[in-house]
Amino acid sequence: MTRSHTPWFLLIVALALAAVYLFPLYWMYVTSLKTGSEMFANPPTFWPRDPNPGIFAEVWGRRTMPTFLTNSVLIAGGVTAITVILGTGCAYVLARYRNVWIDIGLFCVLMLQVLPASVMVTPLFVGFNQVGMLNYPRTAVVLAAAAKAMPFFVVLVRATFMSVPRELEEAALVDGNSRIGAFFSIVLPLARNGILVCAILTFMTAFGEYIYSKSIIQSPSLQPASVGLSGFLGPNSTDWSSIMAYSAIYVTPILLAFVILQRRIVSGLTSGALK
Amino acid sequence: MSRISNWLRDGVGFDILLVGAALLFLVALAGAPLVYNVLMSFQQVDMFTLGSLIRPFVGFDNYIAVVRQPEFWLVTRNTLVFVFGSMTGQFVLGFALALFFAQNFPGASTIRGLFLVSWVMPGLVVGAIWSWILAGDFGVLNVILKSLGIIQSNIFWKSDPNFSIWAVIIANIWLGLAFNMLLLSVGLAAIPRDLYEAAELDGANAFQRFWTITLPMMRSTIGAVLSLGLIGTLQQFDLFPALTEGGPANTSNVAGFWSWQLSFQLYDFAKGATVSVMMFLLVLFASVIYVRSTRHEVRG
Repeated sequence: MTRSHTPWFLLIVALALAAVYLFPLYWMYVTSLKTGSEMFANPPTFWPRDPNPGIFAEVWGRRTMPTFLTNSVLIAGGVTAITVILGTGCAYVLARYRNVWIDIGLFCVLMLQVLPASVMVTPLFVGFNQVGMLNYPRTAVVLAAAAKAMPFFVVLVRATFMSVPRELEEAALVDGNSRIGAFFSIVLPLARNGILVCAILTFMTAFGEYIYSKSIIQSPSLQPASVGLSGFLGPNSTDWSSIMAYSAIYVTPILLAFVILQRRIVSGLTSGALK
Repeated sequence: MSRISNWLRDGVGFDILLVGAALLFLVALAGAPLVYNVLMSFQQVDMFTLGSLIRPFVGFDNYIAVVRQPEFWLVTRNTLVFVFGSMTGQFVLGFALALFFAQNFPGASTIRGLFLVSWVMPGLVVGAIWSWILAGDFGVLNVILKSLGIIQSNIFWKSDPNFSIWAVIIANIWLGLAFNMLLLSVGLAAIPRDLYEAAELDGANAFQRFWTITLPMMRSTIGAVLSLGLIGTLQQFDLFPALTEGGPANTSNVAGFWSWQLSFQLYDFAKGATVSVMMFLLVLFASVIYVRSTRHEVRG
């Protein structure tokens, strides 16, 4: 009797754990809907008494969110494009051969994966300053962030290529395909799903990029949404409903995309992350 | 001409082109800056020499000056507390959750997947949310802790020097927990079921099974997860500007944020570079462990 009840009991515990873990997200949405006096009520209300959805439109306009979000999308798009175009080929070669040189290449990629952005930002800024890249700050951020994103992408996509059977490519070569032809018509289509998942992950990460943008981009009209948020966020901030409304507008698209693609993202990560 | 195009289309040239383009890009934007960073840490860099490559060479002066800064040892201690606090929390809680979700019940993998939303969220937004939850006077965490009777009066997480670093650690544990759990779940799933069945037949209890089967079988996964946790924690930056800005009085400052402050708030690029070289040595140490623990898997 107890045996048949156990799975349902575990399910309830799991839901409770998820509720505790996701509480910060819930709190972000609830706070954004609260009005001034209710926000500082003691004890706090866990459901807004008098929801004020107008805050979203107000923050959207007052904080020039369209500009910030456009810049975020441009930066994330640029980073994703560079990472996918350069990283896919690199991952393919690293997956196809197995010798000392490939081991050295993989080792270098793994080492680059661990470099903290806070270590790289000082030399990148001074270097960009010297070659005049600071006149194109958004491009500079795209280049810097792409170099940060690429090692992780290569490691994950390499795992995808490892799962494409070598025999299919060899058969195409025997049938008279060139290497380029076999790569584009056989290998790439078979690895398409894995590459797509990794590209989406790269985009999501770059969409939240902060440190390079904050350090390199001075003009507010070119800054991404993360820098825009930092503009009214600090140890002494009090305008919490605006901050939470801004955050909610900023992350809801990412959260929706993640929930829709969750199964694929998780399986893409688990196949590659530890290999 | 046609020989070259053939070589590119059908030979090793194709591979070299693919790998070469990516490596050139990475060398230019990751390798070169790293070397340049080390170079700058031995130079005198100020507003007048910022634009030139050849600057006065000062030997170890920058290193000596950094170590003599009054906050140096405080930042070092904070970095260690931050790294070990975050890693321990992420690993222990992540392992517990991974063990829980490894049981067989409906919806297990879907609910586990939901945890990962923390991982795709921008670090600055996570910092903003936790900044509000941890707020001293109106923060919801204080209310919950008080109603549970754990604390008597409000804790000012972000402005109390005794707690400020823990405010960042709490947010960082939340951020990294899910990724740890996912990787450990993968490791757990790879352990053959029949090992447990055999142990159960031999009369081993749950604790013995965990100690003699799970832990030894997970050894390489645990090594990789711990080193990835160390690397991820050292990479954490966004939470600091969002939560405490290193304050009050540097009690929550760590090496990464300090280096950024020196470069971009005090415009002392030489010291910023010096601190980041020191931090890089720490990361190097972590990655050697990481590569060692995943080596056999990389060679596959």
